[in-house]
Amino acid sequence: MIDTTYALGVLAAMAIVTFGLRALPFLAARWLQSHPLVQRLGRFLPLAIMALLLLHTLVGSARQNPTGPWAELVAVATVLALQWWRRQALLSILAGTALYVLLRNPGLLT
Amino acid sequence: MPTASVKTQDPQPPPTSVLSLSIPVAMGYVPLGMVFGFLFVQAGAAWWLALLTSVFVYAGAAQFMMIPMLGLGLPVASIALATLVVNLRHVFYGLSLLDKLPAKPWARWYLVFALTDETYSVLTILPSGTSTGQMVALALLNQGWWVLGTLLGALIGTQAQVPLVGLDFALAALFAVLAVEQWRSADSSAALWVALLSYAAAQAVLPQQALLIAIALSVLVGLFWPPSAPKEVAP
Repeated sequence: MIDTTYALGVLAAMAIVTFGLRALPFLAARWLQSHPLVQRLGRFLPLAIMALLLLHTLVGSARQNPTGPWAELVAVATVLALQWWRRQALLSILAGTALYVLLRNPGLLT
Repeated sequence: MPTASVKTQDPQPPPTSVLSLSIPVAMGYVPLGMVFGFLFVQAGAAWWLALLTSVFVYAGAAQFMMIPMLGLGLPVASIALATLVVNLRHVFYGLSLLDKLPAKPWARWYLVFALTDETYSVLTILPSGTSTGQMVALALLNQGWWVLGTLLGALIGTQAQVPLVGLDFALAALFAVLAVEQWRSADSSAALWVALLSYAAAQAVLPQQALLIAIALSVLVGLFWPPSAPKEVAP
């Protein structure tokens, strides 16, 4: 059994660290906003971070998938193609997820 | 009205866009939150502690990491340090949102608090005219899904059986959609290639911290990448 006081201490420490990290750029906002390097990053970073989050999530799923990364690759290719073609976020996400669930649960089709 | 095209064309997005942006997040957060709540209770902690964690810490990967550490009874300081490493990437998220978050203090600080990977992602594609209320509603909805999942997982415990594998792929699909939209609006695809190479390098060097290292590498390259204006800027 985990001691409640101890767990509360851990929880408080984690909450403070997490919030501190998320708040840091905003606390330094006045200095940062006037900085041309930061404006440059603001244009560069969103695409880079989104690509990284996508890659990292895919790698994570593929590692938990005993049949290899094919299901992930097929499903993500479907999402990318659909989004590029139709630009309907919900459609792309639902179609890709449904396809992935089908690929990962072969019993569904029989 | 397709959610993503709202971005460039419609300065006043319809209220439904907040909910539809939140649905894919829900598909990832509810099942993942359930797994967290379930494992947390299984490790021997009270159910309401799981709930408190999702309300006040609200950081997916760090919350999963804390379960075995709590079970081992590690010192608070070392768990805090591990949290610092796991969540370090969040420092970079604020950089591209400085101008975008509302000025009202309560709204601004709640959004800063709630800046998870997923909420950051959906905030970046909202059009610049999005109201404070809509941004806060989106962040609250997202955290609501996470807290709901945690509560279900912690309460239902052993009886919680997700019948299907792979529903959490919705999060990967969400990132894919957002990457396509960011790609469309970027002035070049350089950031994409930098990200791919950084991630490959990070996976080769330290796979456990691949995401953090790859983001740090991308930030470094981004700082020195020639912008559309070729003017040289001293750091």
